[in-house]
Amino acid sequence: MNAIIALSLFGISNLFLGFLNNRKILLPATLVFILIALGLNFADWNHEYYWFNNMLKTNNLSVNFVTIILLSTFLVVAISRSFGDDDEHSHPAEYYAILLFSAVGAIMMVTFENLIMLFVGLEILSVSMYVLTGSDKRSLRSNEAALKYFLMGSFATGILLFGVALVYGATSSFDIHGIAQGVAKAKEQMGGAYGPLLYSGVILIMVGLLFKISAAPFHFWTPDVYDGAPSIFTAFMSTVVKTAGVAATYRILSISFPSVYGLWGNPLVYIVCATLIIGNITAVYQQSFKRMLAYSSISHAGYLLITVLAKRPETNSSLLFYSLAYAIATITAFAVLMVVSEAQAKNGKADESFEALNGLANNNPLLAFSLTISMLSLAGIPLTAGFFGKFFVFSDAFSNPSSLFKWILVIAILMSTVGIYYYFKPIIAAYMKKGEVAKIELSPLYKFILILTTTLTILLGLAPDLVKNIF
Amino acid sequence: MTMLTDFGYILLFIIAAIVFVAVILFLAKLIRPNRPNEEKLTTYESGEEPDGNANVRFNIRFYVVALIFILFDVEIIFLFPWATVFGNKRLIAETDGLWGWFSLVEMFVFVGVLLIGLAYAWIKGHLDWVRPEVKTTEYESKIPTSLYDKINQKYSQ
Amino acid sequence: MLTLSLILLPIIAGLITLAIKGETAKTVALVFAFAELALGAYLYKSFVPDATSQFGLSYDWIHSAGIKFSVGVDGISLILVFLTTLMVPFIILSTFGNNYKNASNLYALILFMQAALVGVFTAKDVFLFYFFFEAALIPIYFIAAIWGGENRIKVTFKFFVYTIFGSLFMLLALVYLYLLTPGTHSADINAIYEAAKALDLSTQSYLFGAFFIAFAIKMPLFPFHTWQPDTYVEAPTAGTMLLSGIMLKMGVYGLIRFILPIVPLGVDQWGFVAIILSVIGIIYGSVIAIQQKDMKRLIAYSSFAHVGLMSAGIFSRNLEGIQGSLIQMLAHGINVVGLFFIVEIIERRAKSRELSLLGGITQTTPNLTVYFIILMLGSVALPLTNGFVGEFLLLKGVYEYNAWIGAVAGLTIILGAVYMLRMVQKSMFGITSKITEGFTDLTFNEKAVLFPLSFLVIALGIAPNIFLKLTEPAVSQLLSIIK
Repeated sequence: MNAIIALSLFGISNLFLGFLNNRKILLPATLVFILIALGLNFADWNHEYYWFNNMLKTNNLSVNFVTIILLSTFLVVAISRSFGDDDEHSHPAEYYAILLFSAVGAIMMVTFENLIMLFVGLEILSVSMYVLTGSDKRSLRSNEAALKYFLMGSFATGILLFGVALVYGATSSFDIHGIAQGVAKAKEQMGGAYGPLLYSGVILIMVGLLFKISAAPFHFWTPDVYDGAPSIFTAFMSTVVKTAGVAATYRILSISFPSVYGLWGNPLVYIVCATLIIGNITAVYQQSFKRMLAYSSISHAGYLLITVLAKRPETNSSLLFYSLAYAIATITAFAVLMVVSEAQAKNGKADESFEALNGLANNNPLLAFSLTISMLSLAGIPLTAGFFGKFFVFSDAFSNPSSLFKWILVIAILMSTVGIYYYFKPIIAAYMKKGEVAKIELSPLYKFILILTTTLTILLGLAPDLVKNIF
Repeated sequence: MTMLTDFGYILLFIIAAIVFVAVILFLAKLIRPNRPNEEKLTTYESGEEPDGNANVRFNIRFYVVALIFILFDVEIIFLFPWATVFGNKRLIAETDGLWGWFSLVEMFVFVGVLLIGLAYAWIKGHLDWVRPEVKTTEYESKIPTSLYDKINQKYSQ
Repeated sequence: MLTLSLILLPIIAGLITLAIKGETAKTVALVFAFAELALGAYLYKSFVPDATSQFGLSYDWIHSAGIKFSVGVDGISLILVFLTTLMVPFIILSTFGNNYKNASNLYALILFMQAALVGVFTAKDVFLFYFFFEAALIPIYFIAAIWGGENRIKVTFKFFVYTIFGSLFMLLALVYLYLLTPGTHSADINAIYEAAKALDLSTQSYLFGAFFIAFAIKMPLFPFHTWQPDTYVEAPTAGTMLLSGIMLKMGVYGLIRFILPIVPLGVDQWGFVAIILSVIGIIYGSVIAIQQKDMKRLIAYSSFAHVGLMSAGIFSRNLEGIQGSLIQMLAHGINVVGLFFIVEIIERRAKSRELSLLGGITQTTPNLTVYFIILMLGSVALPLTNGFVGEFLLLKGVYEYNAWIGAVAGLTIILGAVYMLRMVQKSMFGITSKITEGFTDLTFNEKAVLFPLSFLVIALGIAPNIFLKLTEPAVSQLLSIIK
């Protein structure tokens, strides 16, 4: 848990590093910072510690989630080639610092033991993301996205806070284990029923969190915000924020409210189905690769929630594996998208449509191959990590005795097929469409990251036990 | 039930606040002379018009200053509870006076973090209120200045 | 170990091929394919003809879930593994006349495909089977979509989505069965057989549906065949050969290995429907084949008709039917690869596959004519050719199941003769047309493909027992599981 303190200090030192004239030092310094934080995180392995007066708690599950979050942050930072080196108005030091701060928020969201910490973590993460979304100051779309995200996001946080207050009213506790006891006691007093205070509290907390992981029907901000934000921050949002959000949702639902499964399970069924259907069907109609990835992130929230809903002993590891596979593949996709859209820029505006990828394979085999593997992984096709992610999720859902899950699975299967449809668009564009993309020069680090993520995706697709045993 | 008492306090506070305001307003009504005129009935006696278009542009620097103000405002809020614990005689006695040092150092760390923020804002130049530079024109008129002086003299008599 | 090397060799070969640029890639690929054939032949030779699974080997794959990397070969697998190793060298050799862009990638993909196919036929863990089943799809998709004809993008995409859609239902069925296995669960095929025994009729019917959709799309059966003709036509000939010669057999193999033993009650209930669909496919495919103008499309529909007969034989659930389908899979693989190659040869010279534009080729090409006619006769199931044994056994099996259906299915022989003879007559005989003038006879490379294939057509027709006696114990055991 020292990772939190370390990351905060690193963030501050990053800010001051920005005053040096040498901007080149920022990227390697940030990468080293993240690696140190990762090392500190591993120190908590196989211990159960309470931190800061029972405010946070680390165990192996949280260490694993933190590892995924920091790994994603590392990859995102590594592919941030430059936040406009030549531009005197850009502030790379601030961006790196804010990324580190938001990682702190994300870590708090997966380790919280007290709902106050959930709120603080969520706010640290969200406020950072509002700023980063609008960081492309001269782009109208980026400004619009930031404002939209801010208004909607703060509203959602308010709803979450309201839910926390109501749950406190029902159980007189902010502690997630205390709440579980309070819920049990309240249920006992009510003779098995639950009062309106608890009911609305749980629902409101859920709404607040589901907003952050953009599950339907709380997803309306996602496409615009993902589309408007600079690609590098979209990559961060769709991986780190999503992982943290799902982990927080899972943590609170599974620890505090397992005894009132019916209360949150029933609405979640509809939310899962709506998320899967809306995310996948709408993604089909997108013309922009980036916007398609936004909808794909909505649909993946649906798959992740299936296993939260299934509430099996294996849910922990399935959730972790799916998040990891999803994060790696998404970052690869964004890495390719960023360089290609810049190389294909028209009138100084990056071209993020599918057409920009036409003929990519001719001169850039590495980019095209990485793109293909990441798309296959997102679509859940064997040989890639995404397949086992889906496989574990589906088998969790199947092993739940309720017959309801059979129908959820049928929807999930149909939607996976729809998913193949749009995930293949970039592949088809890259390999089969006619077009010309000039040879794109990649820095050695960038190449290394692409090869690393692609190899990881294939490796996890061949031998999922490599990490499944750890999770 | 504990639930009721916790929220009951809040309810009591709300009721007390309403009663207090009502009583004060009523008292004031009894005591004060009542000679209204148009100027007196406006909301702000300073003369600031309360209505009008809300979409007025503020200088962006106001926001930066406001943010920095909040930083230190919140710091003060934390200092008050700290002060009560800092001077807690029982704790000081139990720890042979170490408690005082410990809590003092802790507070210095806290303030130090905020100072780092201030330093950052300072170096960034957010504290400098840049005044608009007055530009003097370099245009030279063909009419000599002495002519104006003459006119001034002529009409000042 | 032998089984593992059969899977690993093509992967390694593919990687090596990928690294080689230029003309040498195809030679390297060919050498490796022949090395794989030698391994296949060794497997065939050292196989002991009984019902056991041999050359087995098992590693932990996903330990926590009890999923293993476990492979082995029994009689049913053997014949298909042999077919795969036998066909791939000829498929590679058949491309020697073409100049493909990025050829090394094409050959690497063919070899990867081979590895996945061998994996499918040898897997003994159901999830390993599924893994290879899907993995085989990726190389063939890229082969067809990159080196294919004009409409390739749309057509191959339809093929890909269609087949994945079907197999996802199979995945659901497999997960369901896997969760029924006792204890910490096991995905071994025998454990699945064991677990499925307790299922009641309605569950079995659902499972039958899930498996049937997956395999029926893969084969394909009527009415799931709409992806097939277009894909066969648009894919490059090497891809078409892989699809029709080997990949189609994955579906048939799935019927034998999964549907029959896992859901016997489901087959009792729905097998009749499946047979009817298969027979409709036979007649429908043949009738459409008769009207085709494009040679490649004609063979595609003939393949559709043949596979219908195989599936009808399997669903009749007797020794003759299943044995017939196994030997027919081998024979059909050989014939269809040969016929597609001949279409390719004609297309290379005449730049067209239109029957109405061709004709009179025989006058300058005695060799081609002989090979074409031998392969054609194999395909129409003339006695003493390989097609005869399979179709005879299949028809006998279907006849035993139901005489009326058997009689209707028997039409396949007449209709098959009609469309095949029509194709040969229109393309090879008659008056020389503008584009077939100066048609040259076979080159050495082309003969090197056609001669062994034609030899196999006759050899299998004369001595089918060399294969039938290998598969019989495994098939009998399978039938005993069902009863």
